[in-house]
Amino acid sequence: MKRFYLTALLLCAGRFLATAQETFPRNGVYDDRPGLVAFTNATIFTDYQTRLDNATLLIRNGKVVATGAKVKIPADAVVVDVKGKYIYPSLIDIFSSYGLPPVIKVQVPYATGPSETQKKGPYSWNQAIRAENNAAEIFRVDAKAADDYRKQGFGTVLALHPDGIARGTAALVTLGQKRENEVILLDRAAAGLSFDRGSSTQDYPGSLMGAIALLRQTYLDADWNAKTPGKEQNLSLKAFTDTRKLPQIFEATDKLNLVRADKIGDEFGQQYIIKSRGDEYQNLNEVKATKATLIVPLNFPDAYNVEDPFDASRVAIEDLKHWEMAPANPATVAKANIPFALTAADLKDKKKFLPNLRQAIAYGLDEQEALKALTQTPARLLKAEHLVGALNPNMVANFIITSKPIFQEDNVILENWIQGEQYKLSEIPADVRGVYNLQVGQQAGLRLEIAGNPDKPEARIAFKASGATDTTKVKGKIFLNGDLITLSYNPDVKKQENTVRLSGWYAGPAKGYQGEGLLPDATPVKWNAKLAKALTVQARRDTIKAKDPIVLGNNIYPFAAFGRTSLPKQEIVLIKNTTVWTNEQAGKLENTDVLLRNGKIEKVGKNLSAAGAKVVDGTNKHLTPGIIDEHSHIAINGSVNEGTQAVSAEVRVGDVINPEDVNIYRQLAGGVTASQLLHGSANPIGGQSAIIKLRYGLGAEDLKIKGADSYIKFALGENVKRSNTQNVTRFPQTRMGVEQVFYDAFQRAKEYEKAHQAYNRLSKAAKTKAEVPRRDLELETLVEILNNKRFITCHSYVQSEINMLLKVADQMGFKVNTFTHILEGYKVADKMKNHGAGASTFSDWWAYKMEVKDAIPYNAAIMHSMGLVTAINSDDAEMARRLNQEAAKTMKYGGLSEEEALKLVTLNPAKLLHLDHRMGSIKPGKDADLVLWTDHPLSIYAKPAKTYVDGIAYFDLETDKQLQTEVAKERQRLIQKMLNAKQAGAPTQPIPTTTRGQVLHCEDVE
Amino acid sequence: MKLKYLIIALFISLQASAQVPAPAPLQNKPILLTGATLHVGNGTVIEKAAVAFDKGKIIYAGSASSAPTATGYEQIDVTGQHIYPGLIQPNTTLGLNEIASVRATLDQQEVGQINPNVRAMVAYNTDSDVLPTIRANGVLLLQVTPVGGTISGTSSVMHLDAWNWEDAVVKADDGMHLYWPPLLYQTQSETTPAFTEAQRNREKLLQDLDKLFKEAAAFRLGTPNKENFKLTALKGLFDGTKRLYLHADNAKDIIESVRFAQKNGVKQIVLTGGRDAWRITDFLRENNIPVILSGVHALPGLAGDDTDLAYKTPFLLQQAGILYGLSYSTSLHGVRNLPFIAGTAVAHGLTKEQALMTITVNTAKILGIDTQVGTLETGKDATLVVSAGDLLDMRTNQVTQAYIQGRRLVLTDKQKYLYQKFKAKYQAGEAK
Repeated sequence: MKRFYLTALLLCAGRFLATAQETFPRNGVYDDRPGLVAFTNATIFTDYQTRLDNATLLIRNGKVVATGAKVKIPADAVVVDVKGKYIYPSLIDIFSSYGLPPVIKVQVPYATGPSETQKKGPYSWNQAIRAENNAAEIFRVDAKAADDYRKQGFGTVLALHPDGIARGTAALVTLGQKRENEVILLDRAAAGLSFDRGSSTQDYPGSLMGAIALLRQTYLDADWNAKTPGKEQNLSLKAFTDTRKLPQIFEATDKLNLVRADKIGDEFGQQYIIKSRGDEYQNLNEVKATKATLIVPLNFPDAYNVEDPFDASRVAIEDLKHWEMAPANPATVAKANIPFALTAADLKDKKKFLPNLRQAIAYGLDEQEALKALTQTPARLLKAEHLVGALNPNMVANFIITSKPIFQEDNVILENWIQGEQYKLSEIPADVRGVYNLQVGQQAGLRLEIAGNPDKPEARIAFKASGATDTTKVKGKIFLNGDLITLSYNPDVKKQENTVRLSGWYAGPAKGYQGEGLLPDATPVKWNAKLAKALTVQARRDTIKAKDPIVLGNNIYPFAAFGRTSLPKQEIVLIKNTTVWTNEQAGKLENTDVLLRNGKIEKVGKNLSAAGAKVVDGTNKHLTPGIIDEHSHIAINGSVNEGTQAVSAEVRVGDVINPEDVNIYRQLAGGVTASQLLHGSANPIGGQSAIIKLRYGLGAEDLKIKGADSYIKFALGENVKRSNTQNVTRFPQTRMGVEQVFYDAFQRAKEYEKAHQAYNRLSKAAKTKAEVPRRDLELETLVEILNNKRFITCHSYVQSEINMLLKVADQMGFKVNTFTHILEGYKVADKMKNHGAGASTFSDWWAYKMEVKDAIPYNAAIMHSMGLVTAINSDDAEMARRLNQEAAKTMKYGGLSEEEALKLVTLNPAKLLHLDHRMGSIKPGKDADLVLWTDHPLSIYAKPAKTYVDGIAYFDLETDKQLQTEVAKERQRLIQKMLNAKQAGAPTQPIPTTTRGQVLHCEDVE
Repeated sequence: MKLKYLIIALFISLQASAQVPAPAPLQNKPILLTGATLHVGNGTVIEKAAVAFDKGKIIYAGSASSAPTATGYEQIDVTGQHIYPGLIQPNTTLGLNEIASVRATLDQQEVGQINPNVRAMVAYNTDSDVLPTIRANGVLLLQVTPVGGTISGTSSVMHLDAWNWEDAVVKADDGMHLYWPPLLYQTQSETTPAFTEAQRNREKLLQDLDKLFKEAAAFRLGTPNKENFKLTALKGLFDGTKRLYLHADNAKDIIESVRFAQKNGVKQIVLTGGRDAWRITDFLRENNIPVILSGVHALPGLAGDDTDLAYKTPFLLQQAGILYGLSYSTSLHGVRNLPFIAGTAVAHGLTKEQALMTITVNTAKILGIDTQVGTLETGKDATLVVSAGDLLDMRTNQVTQAYIQGRRLVLTDKQKYLYQKFKAKYQAGEAK
């Protein structure tokens, strides 16, 4: 019989008065106690890797005094024997909003007008920058939340208010139930950051790229503010500068934002500690390259309800796979030697923390690593190793007492001690199960069987009724409360009002239970029950079942539809005997070979051969340069518009490339090899473009074309005027106002450049006295345009506005590189020609809004015939797959030759993007970005058989079929596994409505 | 060659100025087209063919060698060209809408959920600037259809060369359009109040629909002393004179809506939209449900779907033996690309003649106008298109002549006028 009376001598929580409250006046008689306790005979982990057996932990007044096998126990110490129990430093959660007010997000009407900060006082212009926010000031002890954490073994958390982009400082607090003055261990222990504007009521930033731009500008502004004291009192910026020396904790909502966050940190020499989503196993190499320490959540998704095959088909492969692989993420991170802490954040129900952690361990996470990630690592990151995370002398007495090793399945955390105070969590119920010899009054030879669970025992009483030969067994009612026992039973169920009632106490192992009782006829009796046979250990273990071996599918790149277990490789490729559309002087060459090596076109000719080359038969096929889409909005995370302000030149699409957008693959299947990813058209001066190659499977940075010129999106007309939005006050709302926006922006840019040039010309000595001009990323971008270092792609429709921008450009001294859409370009082709602008248009779109009522499908032909570099673009992820056909329409509308038509989607967009020296034609030395078509490339009957980017077949009709078969199999496996999990009682969730593969256009603002 | 036709067309357009060209007068003389490749529209191709028509009806379509002698005919040599039946675009708001972003130009949707008595025909604007550009690529017939709500109203089949809507009618009030309220899916683990409410609203709507159909079925059998336009409008569904076009895309919605219509005694059911139709071809075949398929030039519905799924769907329906026609649905002005979605289906499995049928005779059968149009056979309307090259490929589609009921259309439009106007501007500029 086991009993555990550890707590009998000890006092309840909240009775010790610690020294931190010394300044407070007291009502009544002082009751300060030494808080001197010795825990003896324990297995103690003084830190994550040091185990002491049969040791003592001595604490005094909330601090650790000593640990070890030979600790001298002072005479005045309360001694608690914890033989067979384990003591660990309590856990630390480095990412918590414990004790802080909830963040209430506001739906902000988009780009309807300027919205000013609602925060009064000398703070940032933008409410998302709240570096002055200090968690310690708004922190309140929260009994319920603290209890939830304590039950999972936590003793200390970092309280960080998850509100805004610059979130201010966090406090390291214990989970004690005391005044804030006492539980705060460290004020300003870290600073928080994110890409989320939180509770801000302002519309800027309305996009992910805007959030990134705002953070970037804040670094510069804080710097400038520090260098120019007295220029502007700004407590937000001052705090931002002051807190940069603290550990910086960045909350990234997924693996892509994780990498993005680190990149911003790198720009400003700041290494963030990054809170991840738990999906970093999907792009582990990139994550590792950040060199960031991660804060990894243990939020594993539930299985989906996949019984119905129609419905189940809506679950994306990446969601199916994530369900299976998420529990292995912590192990994967650990095995990659990425330093990490673990957090209970993201768990709606904190009760899931330990079970999930055990699951992560079952999936390969080393127990010691797990303990480290919850003790030493967070303490180290927060520079609090002297306080928490271990049990060394003078450290805070934060520890837990457990019945088994902490991560063992059937372990129970018995007590959680915080700052030397006990919080009782659970007791091991006395296990009284077994068979007893029972005597009630004169009646001996009865048998009492106690079975069931230790905390919910069930009783049966067996006896031979007088004169009977068989044993009768009846159910009894048993109730245990500490040493007290109540037992009742009816020896003859046929009789009513016939219950024997017994009450008693535990009188020690020898005597067992004994006590007083009443028979049904009210005769008082004495009774006793002596243990004959305790429940065997084996019987107890039978309840724990053996687990199935863990099987995981392979990682895929990208972790999305049509991802592959290994990326297609660059090879030497010899395409034989095909029709080659060179886009060069040579024109169209029949029966010709093309050799690709190292990602370049090496040779074009007849009867070529090359050792080791993979030979591709091009007979009856056509080879063209890859299609280049001058106007695309695929592969972008977040809104494509930061249209909250008329000028948003500071935002960069390159910051938010989504390399996992399935539209990349779909467009490869349509022969597209490169795209300009443009900001939308919600404002006159939009954001900076990204020019990518469609290398599906690589990371965002690897999609970008290195060395490509920089571009920016401008826009004119209805979208810019916000014509179709109600109640708009944002300037401009007419084409008159649009002109003024441009003049004003470029005038400011010129003055900006002048101011900086003047400052830079100063001598070193003079500079120290002069006022540093502020860096403004918006104006810097416009200065790049003035200096021909950045080129404009301008969304435009009607002739008046096109002419207007040309005049502004002439007067302010910049060039418009490309007018995109430009559906009335045919009306002003001569003016565009004089300016030197190119054109990128739709083939036959019109009549969908007022400003395109004069659009004509002959537009491209007229502009082309006027000598403009003319391209056909998509602005649409579906149409982009058929750009060859859109080009072919110019043969029908305007009579272009087939070779001219093809150039509209290959060589000409390459020219508009200044990439024609390496793309757009088939010529030795150029990039091997090629499409092998099954038919005449301008025919509707043609499909790409293969699409090469850098000589790599990123799309191949045959491989595509294989891939689909493989994915179907993998889906089937995972769905069956989910069904089994559900059968076994695992929680499930409804099937999500997926937005993956969603298509964005110019006008989309959310 | 192509250029020549273009110049003729442009010349005419200048004559016509910027206006929508005048409708052609009634055919007053028999016409004989000779020398072309004839695509009958039923799968048959006849080289060196002739087509003769008089008073708007075809009197001969076949090999030139057996054609009637040219005496008395206006003979037009179209050697080397192709003759096709006029293409039919079902399920469109062309003629109802002009400029999508300008509300005043939109007549596609009435307020409220249940508008069976609303008729598209009367709002069909024959003076739309868009319509001439549509027929210029061979689309000569439209099923003009109201949208929105649950029962959007009644469609009519109209042609594309008329002074007013009355003249344009090919088949008045051919069918009723029911937009099936789609099944709702919970997206969060907990059921939100908004979801519960949406679900309740849907149930209510389905109950209302059921009541409406039952009451309409009963109403027509009695002699009520008060007229009810809504119930009367539904009458034709129960005697088979009107088709019920069920607009649904998801497999389960399709099944649910078809079952609903069948249980309520609807005689002629057509599935419209039909994105998932390929998943349930057995169901459609067994229940004899034809399909008007939208969205061929479309992305797949799900990220993991076959990239070319939408392009392949016609082939999948063809293989399964379903009667189906195609509807161009990407944009309104884009309906002129109807032949090209059929062309896309060829690239993904159909034969060219099968593809042609999906935009001619199949659609005619589904709409119930196949005795009149859809193929080029004796006795049918002389509603046909002549193209210099393959009509289904934009590379070769070059419509040189088009006839509606024997009347030769003036194939100019606003866009050609603007083309000419500005080409002339630049040519003059060069001369300077």
